[in-house]
Amino acid sequence: MLRIYQRLWQVTWAEQWQYRANLIMYLLYWLVSPVVYLAVWSAIAEAQGSVNGLTANDFATYYLTLLIVDQLTSEITIHAFGYKVQDGSLSGELIRPAHPLLTNTLVYNLAFKALSLLGLVPVWAVLFALFQPDYGTVTLANLLLALLAIGLGFGISFLLGAALTCVAFWTTRVWALYELYAGVTVLFSGQFVPLSLMPPAIQTAAQFLPFQMFKYVPVQIILGRLTWPEVLGYYALGLAWLAAAWLLFRWVWSAGLKRYSAVGA
Amino acid sequence: MTAEPVVLVDNLSKTYRVPEREGGFAAAVRGFFRRTYRDVPAVQQVSFQIAPGEVVGFLGPNGAGKTTTLKMLSGLLHPSAGGARVLGFTPWQLKPAYLRAITLVMGQRNRLSWDIPAADSFLLNQAIYRLTDADYQRTLAELDELLELGPLLKKPVRNLSLGERMKCELAAGLLHRPQVLFLDEPTIGLDITAQARIRTFLQEYNRRTGATILLTSHYMADVTALCERVLIIHHGRLKYDGGLTDLSRQIAPFKLIGVALGEAVAADLSRYGTPVQTEEDGDKHFIQVPADAVTAVTARLLADLPVHDITIADPPIEDVIERAFHE
Repeated sequence: MLRIYQRLWQVTWAEQWQYRANLIMYLLYWLVSPVVYLAVWSAIAEAQGSVNGLTANDFATYYLTLLIVDQLTSEITIHAFGYKVQDGSLSGELIRPAHPLLTNTLVYNLAFKALSLLGLVPVWAVLFALFQPDYGTVTLANLLLALLAIGLGFGISFLLGAALTCVAFWTTRVWALYELYAGVTVLFSGQFVPLSLMPPAIQTAAQFLPFQMFKYVPVQIILGRLTWPEVLGYYALGLAWLAAAWLLFRWVWSAGLKRYSAVGA
Repeated sequence: MTAEPVVLVDNLSKTYRVPEREGGFAAAVRGFFRRTYRDVPAVQQVSFQIAPGEVVGFLGPNGAGKTTTLKMLSGLLHPSAGGARVLGFTPWQLKPAYLRAITLVMGQRNRLSWDIPAADSFLLNQAIYRLTDADYQRTLAELDELLELGPLLKKPVRNLSLGERMKCELAAGLLHRPQVLFLDEPTIGLDITAQARIRTFLQEYNRRTGATILLTSHYMADVTALCERVLIIHHGRLKYDGGLTDLSRQIAPFKLIGVALGEAVAADLSRYGTPVQTEEDGDKHFIQVPADAVTAVTARLLADLPVHDITIADPPIEDVIERAFHE
């Protein structure tokens, strides 16, 4: 099994490397909103001294960390897989004894991540020089704890994204649904602003939803803003959502396959 | 046949539900609120069995249900009704053990990634099908020998010609030495030489491995060269299941008599049989005669006319099958 992933990695990396120019475009697109938020909130916090107790440095560390965490936990399954259901090119993968989503598409996501991180590093360095955030609260222990949270976050986001993409077995309009999902994610994950600045109702809802595991929780762990019991609580929440996402994915996948029409050729 | 059948198809049916709407804006608006569907029966109650090592041709006009049947047998499609067992598995459960034992090669479809050389895709297949290095090297060498892959393997697939790509596709589909091959138009779009090479290869593969092959093709030469038995499907129903030679006897029980007459003899051959226009053999006239009357008609021809040359042949298989479709 490990060998499959290793070979897939070689193949996928080689493929994506050919599209690196394309990738830079994506990267620029993704960079725009966090950079804008970062600039705006830092300016406000500097003018007022702080916003709800968050200083300009708090915003700078939050958004700069978010840039990296976001790359690590996000998924692009709809780009990598959706069209295959619609144009029938899934057929070739389906008749191989390896799960198309859990091998090929998963590795595609990971290779994309690795490549875009390569592109992100210099951009990040420039932003670091510009905003000069103070990362004094970060410890090695925090980073290790965050790694687990990032793993959980990616696991959940990958499985939910995969389940959602599988809706393509029923309708060709899966993109609209995905946009809605992306919107909900932005709202509850802490991508706009740190969740603590959101209205109380949204904060309460976010406490039970999986989306904060994608961004807010790993960032807060890295920055040392959570207590031990809080971290453990989030792990438990993450594990529960991982299990739920897995069940959902399995169900949608097997129900979807019955609808697959293997069009083309 | 005493051996257990490898492929066992029992009343297999597939109905596609196709959304339907008329052209125009009003219809588009109506369609948004209430979609109408039409049920298209693609395959209807098809039953047949295939014994180990058999090479069976699957024939029918476009849209007859051949590809749909192959897709169900390889596990891509769930049937609407009926069942099938291949090597003891239910195909659409997609059990890894099943997928390791079969292959589906579809004309233009790629198992190969476009952006990288075929050799890299082959290595990936080695891992996916869990082939040991020794087995992999052995099979690859064999496929290389039969298909002359050599330099093709190192070029990115997008830079290969159609024929070259098809050879690589076939090789990719056979690296794991499947016991059952479902081939959908394996020679489509290839020139005559490449077609012949693939044909010879399939014969050789079948001989060496004893694999069972079910193939569709629009090229009758594929079928006559490879298959002793054919299945004919039309409008989703199985019309014929049997030998190629029996097919002519059943569907077209007549022969073609060709006669070359002396110069300036303008005989009316319609008295002997139905005259047939043919493109080849300009100086020969052909008539179609019922199979059981061939001896009598030949004798009469020879007695009545100054015959230089005479031939008796079966009608071309294309014509026979064409007839079968329209029955």
